[in-house]
Amino acid sequence: MKVTVGQELPELVKHPTTRQLVQYAGAQGDFYEIHYDQAYARSVGLPGVILHGLLKAGFLAQVVTDWLGEKGTLEAFEVSYRGIDEPGHPYRCRGRVTRVQGQKAELEVWGEDESGKRTTVGTATVTLAT
Amino acid sequence: MVDDVSATITYVIDKLKTRVGVEGPPVTMTVEAGHVRGFVEAIGDPNPRWRKEAPPTFLVALAPPSTHVGDAEEWGKGWLNGGNRFEYFAPVMIGDQITSKGHLADVYDKAGSSGDLLFIIFETNYTNQRGELVARLRGTLIRR
Repeated sequence: MKVTVGQELPELVKHPTTRQLVQYAGAQGDFYEIHYDQAYARSVGLPGVILHGLLKAGFLAQVVTDWLGEKGTLEAFEVSYRGIDEPGHPYRCRGRVTRVQGQKAELEVWGEDESGKRTTVGTATVTLAT
Repeated sequence: MVDDVSATITYVIDKLKTRVGVEGPPVTMTVEAGHVRGFVEAIGDPNPRWRKEAPPTFLVALAPPSTHVGDAEEWGKGWLNGGNRFEYFAPVMIGDQITSKGHLADVYDKAGSSGDLLFIIFETNYTNQRGELVARLRGTLIRR
């Protein structure tokens, strides 16, 4: 696979719903109420229910594994959650190659809300198959 | 609905600090096809690869980090996830038996714009049925 610095990964636009948050809560086993109980979420100062950080991490990992396919191996994946996101709004998941050295490549990945604010940012390290 | 704030942040930090570096009880779980399917459906990732292999973030479904941090809920009103770092050493396949061993790596407080924040750093090591280390997760949980 030809990988060059600056190359963008195909983006994914997600359309999360509260139903999806409940599905994710069950699948991960994270039943913290801020992800499905509106009244509880507001009682702790949130505008309403919010996406799990790890669901956004799952979206960004998908951007990487869709692009990488079987042409390489994911060595490390790191995400920081910088802002909250509510269901009912599109979430744009993107990535870009930042460094290539031999068979190793570094990527930056990020998730943007509707205003373009990067509410999740991260990196991935991959080893490309020879 | 908000938990009573019955302990000071210092009390909670002191209590958690006694557990830094102390490994929690190991949890062994089989990576089940139906569990992985439910997980990737929730993410909306239809990649057929996940019929045989677990996707990168699936490890969190094998040992919820909340098991380390019950004591912190004596202070503050809610949790935020600060971030996660995964390192991968070998693939995790459907049918594998994964043992998770976690510990608190660090605990500290920081003044935030709307009050004190309690940072909890935890680390989990995942090994498979052959005793191979397959992945490591480092996470930051924030209590506010």
